[in-house]
Amino acid sequence: MAYNYGPPQGGYPGQPGGYPQQGGYPGQGYPPQQGGGAGGFAPPTMGAPVDPQIAAWFQAVDQDRSGKITVFELQRALTNANYSQFNAETCRLMIGMFDRDMSGTIDINEFQALYKYIDQWKGVFERFDGNRSGFIDCNELRNAYASMGYNLSPQFAQMVTYKFDIQARRALTLDMFIQSCVMLKGLTDSFKQRDPQMRGQITLGYEDFMTMAVFNKA
Amino acid sequence: MAYYGQQQRQGPPGPDQNFLMGVFSRIDKDRSGSISGSELGQALSNGTWTPFNPETVRLMIGMFDRDNSGTINFQEFSSLWKYVTDWQNCFRGYDRDNSGSIDKNELKTALTSFGYRLSDRFYDVLVRKFDRLGRGTVAFDDFIQCCIVLQTLTQSFRNYDTDQDGWIQIGYEQFLTLVFSIKS
Repeated sequence: MAYNYGPPQGGYPGQPGGYPQQGGYPGQGYPPQQGGGAGGFAPPTMGAPVDPQIAAWFQAVDQDRSGKITVFELQRALTNANYSQFNAETCRLMIGMFDRDMSGTIDINEFQALYKYIDQWKGVFERFDGNRSGFIDCNELRNAYASMGYNLSPQFAQMVTYKFDIQARRALTLDMFIQSCVMLKGLTDSFKQRDPQMRGQITLGYEDFMTMAVFNKA
Repeated sequence: MAYYGQQQRQGPPGPDQNFLMGVFSRIDKDRSGSISGSELGQALSNGTWTPFNPETVRLMIGMFDRDNSGTINFQEFSSLWKYVTDWQNCFRGYDRDNSGSIDKNELKTALTSFGYRLSDRFYDVLVRKFDRLGRGTVAFDDFIQCCIVLQTLTQSFRNYDTDQDGWIQIGYEQFLTLVFSIKS
């Protein structure tokens, strides 16, 4: 019986794909696959020399000097525009993007890769938070996604705003925006792996679906 | 069909109303007549004297808050109490050493007994996801959240799986919508 089949085809954890800016993909809006264009999310190279500024940041975040950053250390280091701490779920998801050995921690090279994403997403957030309120609403959210190549419907942006708005402001703070981006990226990467011909439509088995959803959801 | 977790909802009648009223008024610290998320989080015991994780509390308020007020009145609280007690009994049955948390094998046994048929590899992902304390085990509140998430995801999958063969055809945005909607 189909429910009972073997392990899902996998290997998706933490493999950052390159998202070119502006995914001109008519109709079904997910970003094309080719490597990172200028301004896009270029795949970070593991083992590349660590930027001294990032190394300094890493040392500041790694409070117990273990050479590894935990969810709690990351959470202490990140703040929203109103100086509130990032929520723990967002930090868990971010660590999970690069935590290959499932230790719940990341080392300096993984941190460098993560840092690039945080920086990109923060930049997008600030660009679309037109009035610098520290919040983006559902129209701004849709435009922000589109600027990263995700062409999604107004209904989708509305649903995300509703679900991720933990302060009942009908808008997202930076941490929740990043949380939605980590999910969007992870789910899109998983979907694309199963859609080599880019038809925008896939056939999914039960356990495969469950794994994708559980792994990528907050 | 066996891939769907079947949680028993039948059972003996719940505790009497006076007892529950006492519990309710102890939790309702500001005497507003309804319980907020933070009041509930403080009141629910994890067996470890730590408050319930806010995601589980939000999920549960979402399930029992029939009038969409964002809070729980006494009526709603009675159902919620029974729900948590059922989970507690269920959890204790699998937490052999009374440690307040269950490991991967215990989790697998529990979920298999609910009717889920999932591979070992899936349980690795599951424990990793719901192990908030980084100990390789799942605490009571996270266990509840885990079960609700699995149940909700399975139900969503089933809605697409019209011929119930365990396979669905799904478009990109539909897929995103499905997973994003599960967020509490």
